[in-house]
Amino acid sequence: MQLTPKDAPPKAQIARRRLMAASCALLSAGAARSQQANIAPAGSGLLEDWSVDSALAYYHEDGRIHAIEPVVDLAKVFADGKSLDFNVTFDALSGASPNGALTSHAPQTFASPSGTSLSGSHTYTTGPGQLPVDPHYHDDRLAVGGSWTVPVTRVTQVSVGGKLSDEHDFVSATVNASIARDFNEKNTTLSFGVNDEYDSVQPIGGAPLPGSDYALFQKTGNKSKNGVGALLGITQVMTRNWLSELNISVDRFTGYLNDPYKITSIIDSAGNTTGYVYESRPDERMRKSAYWENRVAWTSQVSTALSFRYFSDDWGVRSDTAQLHLRWSLSNRDHYLEPSFRWYRQTAADFYTPFILSTAAPSTGNESADSRLGPFHALTFGLKYAEQLADQGSHVGSEFSARVEYYQQTFDQTKPVPAGLQGLDLYPGLKAILVQIGWRF
Amino acid sequence: MDLGRLSVLCVMAGTIALSGCGSVGVKPWQHDVLAREEMQLNADPLDAAINDHMYFSKEASSGGRSFAGGGCGCN
Repeated sequence: MQLTPKDAPPKAQIARRRLMAASCALLSAGAARSQQANIAPAGSGLLEDWSVDSALAYYHEDGRIHAIEPVVDLAKVFADGKSLDFNVTFDALSGASPNGALTSHAPQTFASPSGTSLSGSHTYTTGPGQLPVDPHYHDDRLAVGGSWTVPVTRVTQVSVGGKLSDEHDFVSATVNASIARDFNEKNTTLSFGVNDEYDSVQPIGGAPLPGSDYALFQKTGNKSKNGVGALLGITQVMTRNWLSELNISVDRFTGYLNDPYKITSIIDSAGNTTGYVYESRPDERMRKSAYWENRVAWTSQVSTALSFRYFSDDWGVRSDTAQLHLRWSLSNRDHYLEPSFRWYRQTAADFYTPFILSTAAPSTGNESADSRLGPFHALTFGLKYAEQLADQGSHVGSEFSARVEYYQQTFDQTKPVPAGLQGLDLYPGLKAILVQIGWRF
Repeated sequence: MDLGRLSVLCVMAGTIALSGCGSVGVKPWQHDVLAREEMQLNADPLDAAINDHMYFSKEASSGGRSFAGGGCGCN
């Protein structure tokens, strides 16, 4: 868990390293920050200038969504060790989004979210054998966040923060607070944090009644959900070149947890679609996760970051994640290559079903055909290149980076399907690419 | 969380916690390697944030490294 202030800006890190090298007393970042605070000129008020970390990402799914996401993060460390962080994120998404319905041999007509009937202009039609997607998906999101970190003693610091995110049909507000304390000559750090999130769900056309007949358009006004969470972390310096971190977290969400645009197909025993119902998820969700990360510097040029995460919730989802980043510094450590690999696997939520058989007994519980709640595994392959630019006046330590990632989901669904659906690609999975450039100074 | 995985994690946590009292760890003047930018736990915060957002919108799991809040209506 990163309860320490945002990593000091590259400029500060370089200046700090030079200072530490000169004094032959290399200290931890926190200690150095405290030390520098003490030696700052009286009345200067400031120890560091603002540091800027920025990125522009382009995300593209094969035949579906694409998004452009610029992000800017501003950080400042004050002379007394306090630090302020402020970030802005903008997302522009558009494309085609799966609506949850099952691929069929016959054309299928759906209403747009603002539609009130299955005929007329507010509809779209999916051809035979095609995955039903809403082709007119579009949304913009603006998020702003900040945090304020204060060292209360030489080994203890507290941090408070918040985030506000706004999009056309969703508003989210989050606040958090945390405390971290160093032990054992700053080789061990214990941290604890809590957060509270409030979301307002404002679906286009209204929030559908969960589980209701899609053709009846039974919709109500806005909905909301709340979440509270806690995270306990321990960070340990294992050796001179090995750092380990373990986090345990738990959170609980209540309220309207449905995706208001997702529906589930009802099919007969021959595989013909006879109707649809809106998805119906439980109105509570408790999630737990354990995260373990190890950073090891193998040589002066090569280091790795290896992490594992186990996740479970009371919806029946279990997942395992393993991720490896290998950083290979080149020449004089002024540029590096960083290949990465991520493996992910999840089980389905208990109420996940790709379709409902019309011959089955009426459901009294929950159901969802949202593939994100289904069983699948995913792989991510990435490569990043970064180069530190030469000193340019005040822009000491500026870094330019570019990276690309390929993400692929493969469905692990084994539920038998009626013979009439044989030959259709019912679980097409997902392929996506992410391209990002970054600059920090 | 099943008991097997929970036990493994408890052992890991215990190992790390106990190591704080043992021989692991370094002296204050031995932080040279650990002070490198790539050895910071959040060395690339924007990369992590962008990836977390992508995975949050496409998978049923999130969080772990930090709070799991999405701040996004995409899931």
